[in-house]
Amino acid sequence: MVSWWRPIPANAARRPFDVLTNTPLPGVDPQWSHLVQARSSDGPHTFHVLDTGPQLQARGITPTGTILALHGNPTWAYLWRGVLAASVQRATPTSAWRVIAADQLDMGFSDRLAHPEPPAAGATSYRRLEQRLDDVDGLIEALGVDTGRPLVTLGHDWGGIISLAWAARRREIVDAAAVLNTAVDHPANRPVPQALRAAMAPGVLASSTVLTDAFLRVTLSLAEDNLPEQVAAAYRAPYVSRIGRGGIGGFVADIPALAEHPSRPALERASAALREWDSPALLIWGPKDPVFRDRYLQDLLDRLPHADLHRFEGAGHLVAEDRDVAEVLFTWLADTLGGQPAGPEHRSAPWSPPPADGVLGLHEQLDHMALSWRRDSPAVVQLAGQETASMTWEELKSQVEALAAALYAQGMRPGQRVSLLVQPGNQLTVILYACLRLGAVAVVADAGLGIKGMTRAVRSAWPEWVIGERPGLTLASALGWPGRRISVEALSPRAARLAGVEASVERLLRRGGSTALETVPMPSAQADAAVLFTSGSTGPAKGVVYTHGRLGALVALLRRTFSLTPGSSLIAGFAPFALLGPAIGATSVTPDMTVTKPATLTAQAVAAAAAAGKATMFFGSPAALTNVVATSGELSDAQTEALEGIKLVLSAGAPVHPELLDKVQQLFPQAELHTPYGMTEGLLQTDITRDQIHQAATTGQAGVCVGHPVDGVEFAAAPLDGLGIPADQLSDPAAVPGRLSEIVVSAAHLKDRYDRLWLTDRTSRRDTHRGLLWHRTGDIGHFDDAGRLWIQGRLHHVISTAEGPIGPGLVETPVDALAEVSHSAAVGVGPVGTQAVVVVLEPVAGRKLSVGSSPLALPEVGRRVREASTAAGVSAVLVVEKLPTDIRHNSKIDRSRLAAWAESVLSGERVSSP
Amino acid sequence: MSDLSSAEILPPAKVLVTGASGLLGRSVASRLAELGYQVTTLQRSASGLSTVREVRGSLTDPQAVEEAVSGQDAIIHMAAKVSVSGRREEFEQVNIEGTERIFDAAWAEGVENVLYVSSPSVAHAGESLVGAPAGPPDPDHAEGHYAQTKAEAELIAEARASVGINVLIMRPHLVWGPGDGQLTKRIIDRARSGRLPLLGSGAPLVDTLYIDNAVDAFAAGLRRLPQIAELPAAQRRLVVTNGEPRPIGELLMGIAAAGGAKPPKLRVPPAVAKAAGAVVERLWAVTGPHQDEPPMTRFLAEQLSTAHWFDQRHTREVLGWSPQVSIDEGLLKLARHIRRTGRVLN
Repeated sequence: MVSWWRPIPANAARRPFDVLTNTPLPGVDPQWSHLVQARSSDGPHTFHVLDTGPQLQARGITPTGTILALHGNPTWAYLWRGVLAASVQRATPTSAWRVIAADQLDMGFSDRLAHPEPPAAGATSYRRLEQRLDDVDGLIEALGVDTGRPLVTLGHDWGGIISLAWAARRREIVDAAAVLNTAVDHPANRPVPQALRAAMAPGVLASSTVLTDAFLRVTLSLAEDNLPEQVAAAYRAPYVSRIGRGGIGGFVADIPALAEHPSRPALERASAALREWDSPALLIWGPKDPVFRDRYLQDLLDRLPHADLHRFEGAGHLVAEDRDVAEVLFTWLADTLGGQPAGPEHRSAPWSPPPADGVLGLHEQLDHMALSWRRDSPAVVQLAGQETASMTWEELKSQVEALAAALYAQGMRPGQRVSLLVQPGNQLTVILYACLRLGAVAVVADAGLGIKGMTRAVRSAWPEWVIGERPGLTLASALGWPGRRISVEALSPRAARLAGVEASVERLLRRGGSTALETVPMPSAQADAAVLFTSGSTGPAKGVVYTHGRLGALVALLRRTFSLTPGSSLIAGFAPFALLGPAIGATSVTPDMTVTKPATLTAQAVAAAAAAGKATMFFGSPAALTNVVATSGELSDAQTEALEGIKLVLSAGAPVHPELLDKVQQLFPQAELHTPYGMTEGLLQTDITRDQIHQAATTGQAGVCVGHPVDGVEFAAAPLDGLGIPADQLSDPAAVPGRLSEIVVSAAHLKDRYDRLWLTDRTSRRDTHRGLLWHRTGDIGHFDDAGRLWIQGRLHHVISTAEGPIGPGLVETPVDALAEVSHSAAVGVGPVGTQAVVVVLEPVAGRKLSVGSSPLALPEVGRRVREASTAAGVSAVLVVEKLPTDIRHNSKIDRSRLAAWAESVLSGERVSSP
Repeated sequence: MSDLSSAEILPPAKVLVTGASGLLGRSVASRLAELGYQVTTLQRSASGLSTVREVRGSLTDPQAVEEAVSGQDAIIHMAAKVSVSGRREEFEQVNIEGTERIFDAAWAEGVENVLYVSSPSVAHAGESLVGAPAGPPDPDHAEGHYAQTKAEAELIAEARASVGINVLIMRPHLVWGPGDGQLTKRIIDRARSGRLPLLGSGAPLVDTLYIDNAVDAFAAGLRRLPQIAELPAAQRRLVVTNGEPRPIGELLMGIAAAGGAKPPKLRVPPAVAKAAGAVVERLWAVTGPHQDEPPMTRFLAEQLSTAHWFDQRHTREVLGWSPQVSIDEGLLKLARHIRRTGRVLN
């Protein structure tokens, strides 16, 4: 017996509503609270449960299944109140889930065990993993759970381990398993997470967990936003005194971090059994968790490769507090165990329309060109300062294959993810095509996301490999990105060791030559090829997965739409298309610029690239075009002539103002100007030329005209209702001309799926119209009588006025045309259904448009804005120095942030910068 | 009521308008007379209207009230003590007891329809109102004698609805325009003398109501009163505005400019202004009657430093009305009026 330890006496379970006088439990219906006696391996114990079964029964509803929810340490069943509430709210006579959230023994309001000794790994009065599994057996029996119907386990933290271990043990009655942040394995040779280590140190364990409530408070502080005081008090309620906290210390002591820990065998049995688990599994994850870091998620995915995963970017350890996990869970259950008779939408899997043209493997053109008479002509050309580096088709093919073989020898395998931290150019092209050839999946998180955004993106994709230039690798080390490291240039042994780099592309290429590649089959059309990321202008960047087949369809579409043929030569000022050059069979010329900063591209650089690569096409972005026009005054005659050789100019990424297009046309007099419309999830959807834009403008319709669908693209419309909610049922564009709608698209070259965002993915592809597989773009606009698409902005940014919903573009397009306005954003403030329209202006350089130090526009500016915006009444016109925009395109305005700012300013709060 | 037409109050019905000496009362009485209603007015001073029957007297005078109410088909009860200063008892006498007297007389004389004119301030305590609905009257939280007594009076009106009188409550917010001595004239006068406060950023969104729209809305309210009175209490309280919230600074600048005054410049942080307003208000209360209102009251400070705008969907739907004069058109009309007559008042 330890002298400083005062024994903790046993205490009987009690209903919280019987013992708490001053602590309300917001979100908990007292009807759910019951005590139940269950027989475990060491005899009977009384458990407190929150159980919606009796309430459902009272409403005459027989549950179609049961969810058993187990909390972790140091929470209690209160954690599951959102799931419990959803159980009741979503219950219908034909579909209802009984939710049983049990307080673990020695936790919450369940029985307290006597503890004569402090918590420690060998202390026998504390519950161990094996016993807790027996507890669950007893509970299921005592609660009269109908195991003939679907039974689903749900767990978090320690409850995650227990629920998964129990599910694996009782596979014959458990139909599905869902977990929030947890871990089922902790390699005995790896240190436990720093955040836990402090609490587990022998001298500290008892005092941090039992003698004080430090562990409890730290856990509650992990919520994304501070918990409301009443909620935090509810969590603390069973643990206010030392004698209530024995179980907290017991749980910490039971973490089997060391090989000789008594619970180690039980954990190892459970984690091994999980590999056999082939029933449905759902993982809901909050990545901002200092304990259950992403590597534990990766371990779970390794064991449960078929699991569905929704990773809530920004949420943390208490993901059930941070996000609506019930929505994910219940939607997923309906999909996987719904037991509904298959509706028409389930009869056959929806499909994409046929691709626009014959789809080739991403390597076929490369192989073909390298064997053709063009094998000695340049495949890739890169200009940097006075240097011009180029590679013939034959050289490119041989380098790609040499690198692929060497990477394979290094251990890279099909299906593994590879983060590429390499500037666009010849080298990136070689590395990318080597990965594609191997069947490795390229993770392309570009610098345009910003360092924070890139870190989030890379962590979400969790690559096994990182191939990077030195700055990228340094960043990866500093920020603790996952993955084995390969540098581009050869490093000294010392530098390699410091950066944790195991090989370099430079040396791998030299090694090359192995025949290993012959045993690696070409990737199938269904195999993942790449993970790209959305720009993150409407929330965190989302990973978008493309398969080889879908990228192949994109290549076919580009070739057809822009008449790209083998032998074409294009200047790649827009990264996504630049990388597809070898697959297209076109020479790609990288101009002298920072490709991730499109605004650094000059007219001179384009001219030089045109001359060096005999290019006939120029692919750019609005920001690049703006700078090309701005720098066009300094062109020599030879450069002007080089630009006259360009026959096609394409601008992608964001709309281009017609005036800018006119200036671009003067610079490229022989070129046809195209501004296609697309998105990360489908890079090319419609196309329109400069002439067509001017023609469309004469019809005076709202928004930006992006033209007609390109071949192989099917559109549908989900008309917005009076409050701006898109319809569940899709309409054909011709049936709803002029109606403001969410734009929905179907095509063979769309994304395969969102990465690790189960609910987001399901939501985007929920439609079954015409039996096709659709993608909800989140863009709003309308189709006109001529079948053209007009975009008004993002669904997320709809302004819901009393007169109906409007898109920001309805107001912005005419306001942007005012001479004193550089650009503008229209946002809504106030309640949905009666929002006021607010225009925020960024003045052209050198103009002052506001009153004194106030953000209010000068009266005459306000008047001009209102006169321009005839289609919608404008309540307020505000002026800011700079509108907040995304980093990647430098053109997508962060309207959500702006709306919050405008609402605060227009409520009379202190004025700050947006 | 069986058929729809009988559920409307149409000309030549007899209507009493109380408080016809103010701009709103006078304009409404005059418009109703134009529409063919037989209009009686009740106010202390002469209304100056030739098309109405006039009863001179105070709400505190039972005989005048009885004479005015007798024989009417409907009453628009607008008379109130509106000032931002004064003793509590004065407000109670006019706003609470006067309203009770009107309802008593209506009950005694068999007048079935009463349109009670109130103020959005009865439901709020100075917090920011952003697209707000018309909340229930709350005398405990309303600020100032005016809003508190009007809230009490609204409760009385609602209570009378339960004993068989058709009651509609309309709450116009910040009526302005030619002829308005309350807000428009003061803004222009103060702007001309350089005493118009533009507080903080001047950005808070505020709803207002142009006078012509107010008149139309009351005419619509009168006509539909029996139908609207069948709705639950919460749905026959109508805040009435132009439905065009504007930054307060822009409105003040616009009205000042319409009066030919230079735009306002003064800047006071909102918290300071509110405190200063409270001090002035108290001083006012102890130093007795004055010619002018206090230069800045707590009420005005709040109007100028927090958002005050409302959800107009329900109002427009039940009244079958929408404003015909936009704020910008109203400002042009005001400017034209001032240029033509040389003054704000009619």
